Amino acid sequence: MEGPADTLTYMIAGFAVIFGIMLIYLVSLISRWNNLRKDADLLKELENKE
Amino acid sequence: MTAQPTTLKILTVVTVLMLTAATLMVFFYAPLEAVMGQVQKVFYFHVAAGWTGMLGFFVAFVAGIAYLITHKRIWDIVGVAGVEIGLVFMLICIITGSIWARPIWNTWWTWDPRLTTATIMELVYAAYLMLRQGVEDPDRRARFGAVYAIIGFLSVPLTFFSIRIFRTIHPVVIGGGDGDAMGSFDMTPKMFQTFMFSLATYSFLFATLLWHRVRMGKFADQLEQLKMKLLA
Amino acid sequence: MNQVTPFLRALGAVVWKDLAAEWRSREMLSAMLVFALLVILIFNFALELDPVGRANITAGILWVTFTFAGTLGLNRSMAVEKDRGCLDGLLLAPVDRTAIYFGKALANWLFMLSVAVIVLPVYSILYNINLFQPGLLLVILLGSEGYVAVGTLLSTMSVQTRTRDILLPILLFPIVIPVVVAAVKASGNFLAGLEMAEIQPWLNLLIVYDVVFTAVSFMVFDAVVEE
Repeated sequence: MEGPADTLTYMIAGFAVIFGIMLIYLVSLISRWNNLRKDADLLKELENKE
Repeated sequence: MTAQPTTLKILTVVTVLMLTAATLMVFFYAPLEAVMGQVQKVFYFHVAAGWTGMLGFFVAFVAGIAYLITHKRIWDIVGVAGVEIGLVFMLICIITGSIWARPIWNTWWTWDPRLTTATIMELVYAAYLMLRQGVEDPDRRARFGAVYAIIGFLSVPLTFFSIRIFRTIHPVVIGGGDGDAMGSFDMTPKMFQTFMFSLATYSFLFATLLWHRVRMGKFADQLEQLKMKLLA
Repeated sequence: MNQVTPFLRALGAVVWKDLAAEWRSREMLSAMLVFALLVILIFNFALELDPVGRANITAGILWVTFTFAGTLGLNRSMAVEKDRGCLDGLLLAPVDRTAIYFGKALANWLFMLSVAVIVLPVYSILYNINLFQPGLLLVILLGSEGYVAVGTLLSTMSVQTRTRDILLPILLFPIVIPVVVAAVKASGNFLAGLEMAEIQPWLNLLIVYDVVFTAVSFMVFDAVVEE
């Protein structure tokens, strides 16, 4: 009986997609958070000037 | 913006640990499937991601109803967070579904009811975001989002059934006569455990991401209000 | 019971207003009609089929035509309200908001059915196929109701956004897929003269969809027209 099919490349592609997309989302969250932080600091400055 | 609550910090750590454990289980604990080989291992996270996608949609549905009843901002923030996270994970589910199909059925796409429904859901998510983008007023944006999240979620079971009945009567050449051809293999106990643990892991992942995303949403909301106050 | 009469009167007034306004200008109906006929024409050249092949996909062509022409009607119906300020006027009136919803939905439904009334004989003549079968007519009634129930709600939202017309199909089509699938299968089966048992599941699906989405749409309609 022949063994299981050799589908290694597809498995790698699959996991690359899974972790890749999760990573991209994580990075986007962090970057958006940092932008908000910067905006908050800017607004704090403006508020103090008034 | 207040500091991260301890519970969230703990939850994040737990989620990371679970994700690591789940990945190790998939590669070293679960056995190699007899026919499909290594690509079958994608299945565990493929289904878990789809589950997360559904959770996102469900959260948006509940948040939509809650917003329409209470008109509290927080529900709008939760709704957007749910849709955003759902969009990301449903995308993972769809693409991995395609990658799984390729070596097994020699096609990049099977019109499998679950995968097709997932794609339609993804389009509804995208439409939700486009709808919101086109509305200036925050309250109206929230109301419209809530309404569409509700309508969208309710359409999912009907869409699924319509495609399923369609498929059982019209079997596609690939996959034979079974409307649920995709994903049929026998699961050994170890596979089942890995599968259930993956589902649990992704559920924790969803909760963690949702919490972080909602915090971010609240932060953004506060800034918006501050901005309007200062620049008015 | 005393709440029903004013409700029905308001509903009737909205329907009457739409029908009368459209009758005077006939802009929307003619646009929908010409569009529908053009779509059929394009299909004729795009899918060069022999009579047998055509019989199989008649249902598909009909429903694609209705789906796209329907979008035109929905967009126009709501845009007119918004542009002429009628929507604000309607909302100021001491009328139950749901009467407005049902009035608009009913008017939209009648417009879609009028398109069908013309398309069916034209298609029948062009392709020498009798489309006036009670089964098919039933499917058209059920299918267009579901389409219009959701469409009226969604077009009310899309008309208030920046992107307007383009947004409606994006919002509507994914939601309306069960209707299209069920309507095409049921229509095709009726035309092919299949057993009722085969067609029943599709009709049931259409009925469930119609009930659920008409109910939900009128319940949330208030939220999309608040000021």
